[in-house]
Amino acid sequence: MTSVAERPKPFVLPEYCKGCGRCISSCTKACITMGTEINPVTGLVPIVLDLSRCNGCGLCFEACPEPYGLRPQGEEAAFELVDPSTVLGPRPYAAPQPEPWPDTSVPLPEREPLIVKGTYAAAVGAVLAGCRHVFGYPITPSTEGAELMAKVLPELSGVFVQAVSEVATVNMMYGAGGAGKRCMTFTSSPGFSLMLEGISYMIGAEIPAVFVNVMRGGPGLGNIGPEQADIKLVCRGLGHGNTHAIVLAPATPQEMLDIAMLSFELAFKYRNPVVIVGDGYLGQMTGKVRLPRQMTEPGIPEWAVFGDRSHRGNLMCSLDLSEVGLEQHNVRLNEKYAQMTAEEQRADLYRCDDAEILIVACNTPAQLAKGAIKELQDKGLKVGLFRPITLWPFPIEALLTVLDRVERLVIVEASSGQLEDELRLALSHAEVHAPPPMSHVRRMGGILPSQDEIVEHVLGLEEVR
Amino acid sequence: MTDLAVPVTTRKDWASDQEVRWCPGCGDYSILSAVQLLLPELGIRRENTVFVSGIGCAARFPYYMNTYGMHSIHGRAPAIATGLAVSRPDLDVWVVTGDGDSLSIGGNHLVHALRRNVNLTILMFNNQIYGLTKGQYSPTSEVGKITKSTPFGSLDAPFNPVSLALGAEATFVARTHDLDRKHMVETFRRAHDHRGASFVEVYQNCNVFNDGAFEAINGKENRADMLIPLEHGQPIRFGADGEHGVASDGHGGLRLVEVADVGEDALVIHDERQVNPSLAFALSRLATGPHEPTPIGVFRAVERPDYGSLVDQQLLEAQNRQGVGDLASLLRSGATWNYD
Repeated sequence: MTSVAERPKPFVLPEYCKGCGRCISSCTKACITMGTEINPVTGLVPIVLDLSRCNGCGLCFEACPEPYGLRPQGEEAAFELVDPSTVLGPRPYAAPQPEPWPDTSVPLPEREPLIVKGTYAAAVGAVLAGCRHVFGYPITPSTEGAELMAKVLPELSGVFVQAVSEVATVNMMYGAGGAGKRCMTFTSSPGFSLMLEGISYMIGAEIPAVFVNVMRGGPGLGNIGPEQADIKLVCRGLGHGNTHAIVLAPATPQEMLDIAMLSFELAFKYRNPVVIVGDGYLGQMTGKVRLPRQMTEPGIPEWAVFGDRSHRGNLMCSLDLSEVGLEQHNVRLNEKYAQMTAEEQRADLYRCDDAEILIVACNTPAQLAKGAIKELQDKGLKVGLFRPITLWPFPIEALLTVLDRVERLVIVEASSGQLEDELRLALSHAEVHAPPPMSHVRRMGGILPSQDEIVEHVLGLEEVR
Repeated sequence: MTDLAVPVTTRKDWASDQEVRWCPGCGDYSILSAVQLLLPELGIRRENTVFVSGIGCAARFPYYMNTYGMHSIHGRAPAIATGLAVSRPDLDVWVVTGDGDSLSIGGNHLVHALRRNVNLTILMFNNQIYGLTKGQYSPTSEVGKITKSTPFGSLDAPFNPVSLALGAEATFVARTHDLDRKHMVETFRRAHDHRGASFVEVYQNCNVFNDGAFEAINGKENRADMLIPLEHGQPIRFGADGEHGVASDGHGGLRLVEVADVGEDALVIHDERQVNPSLAFALSRLATGPHEPTPIGVFRAVERPDYGSLVDQQLLEAQNRQGVGDLASLLRSGATWNYD
């Protein structure tokens, strides 16, 4: 008499079954049905077996994609859920806590000043701040900065990569910044718009980088003339979610260099992107630039994805599926923003000591305003310039020190009032409910307000007439 | 309106009053004039014709056409044209783009317009450089190219636009060049008459930032030996007396041969209507760049329903099945409740 070895019937390990149902369609005897009970351990719904018709064909073992979902009966004991650490023992070694490698400052010899254009000055500043990774996509009027970097970086063991778009650029910066490297880009308004998605992710994942946005006429493609109409975007609209970044507005090629260096310090201090906004003129304006007496050799921060044992626990991520966790993350971001607001306000006060009329302007319009102020002071008028260097946070503290004497604020800008909006918002937050009357000189479309227009406007004010 | 005869036009009727602002000597001028020569012959109306462009030198094209036009976002022209062509199937929609616009920032949109076979005529001016931003390398620039953004030479392997379009299974793929007006006109005519997405690569000289990029193949003395004209149904041969030809290499590819060595029967017969794009692809791989004998003409022209027709058909089927939709009842169907 021949004997047939009895083939095993299946049993289900509910903790491993994800309820995918592949076994159901494989079973020729309709023994398997979709379950209705949620497994409390996994939160999933495992299948249910009814083995009354089962002939032990074994097709369901083949169909199950889980290594331990359906197993032959008799193996039950081997598949109890156990903590891997009790089987494998503790990890063979504990990774050391990552230590930051500090930045070092290298003294530089005294050098003759350079005569360079604004975008070049920013590039030089970035190199001196230790930036060796530059990404960008050609766009007028900012491309020269990147072109200079393409030329000088290889000798410094750095790299410039021309990306295929600004979207690619910002994501390359996410990568380089996430590795703890100092990286930057040069772009202009339409390109900056494309980078906003990535900037929001970088703020969420706390990745530092420096963006130089040489603002040009908009909206849309606009033109390549100078404008300041991205102020709203950089101060209030850096992509979706609860985002802010320090926004610096240089006014001269010298400041392009100084601020580029400062931006890297701030970006790494706060683990947050920093935006430098210039206007088309400033990018192209050539001026004398003094080099600093020291440069930075950057280290590696402890949070970087650096690729060694001690850094391997680091994860760059803006995702947090737990609502409570994400709220806590936002609270922490808000604390950073509050610290930036308290500590990083910067402004330049020009002839403000006895000013009755205070002009508020930044970038090249501020330079034009200085010219106008000299003219107006020759006529005996008490006019000063308040020049925010940080647009966000707005330097309201410095403004409040001179505001008492001021009878009139004149906001001069190449936009439809975006700087004025920042000023008004800052005054409102500072509980200044009755600020001096405001008027403005505005141009748009790639035109800056002229010195004559400013003079004419001030001479036409009722306080002056 | 439709039963009125299409008015007879001349080249002048298709030119706008705008001053053409390309650099003197730019290859774009001859492409513009080829298009303006062709359009009066197509029996189409200016008011039903739209030129859509993105950003770049080529993208100035719509300004110079006395038709409707959109000068749009960098790289997005194929997407914008898709929206237009699908919502207005009665229009003749042309996309004019460059190698930077369509292959770097717009690479995504281009391949999907081709894949979907949207009824567009896409003219891609390939000058292997970014001209508008004054000379940076582009996705078609050759390896080692020295430009302002690659002072030590480009490291990127360039795209072969014809191979790329064939890879996206474009139903019409052709190549022409800016020094042969007659060839351009005929190629553009074929591209226009094709239903579905037509892709034409136009080798275009940028005489300021990349002068002579195609000189080696389309210079007057070089043409006969360096351009391989593709003609449907004909053996592929070139040279002043047809002494060179193209034969199978025995490994699924093609090779250049001397007709005297292999005999005429060994030459490959061009078949642009092969549904399998392998022959067209092998032809596109004959030259690694515009310094080797390069095929020009129509690589592939096959029939496949265009996206707009498929959309229309789907709408009809849905309406036949369920009747013409009634907005009020649609709003009240599904998960909506009355509030008492």
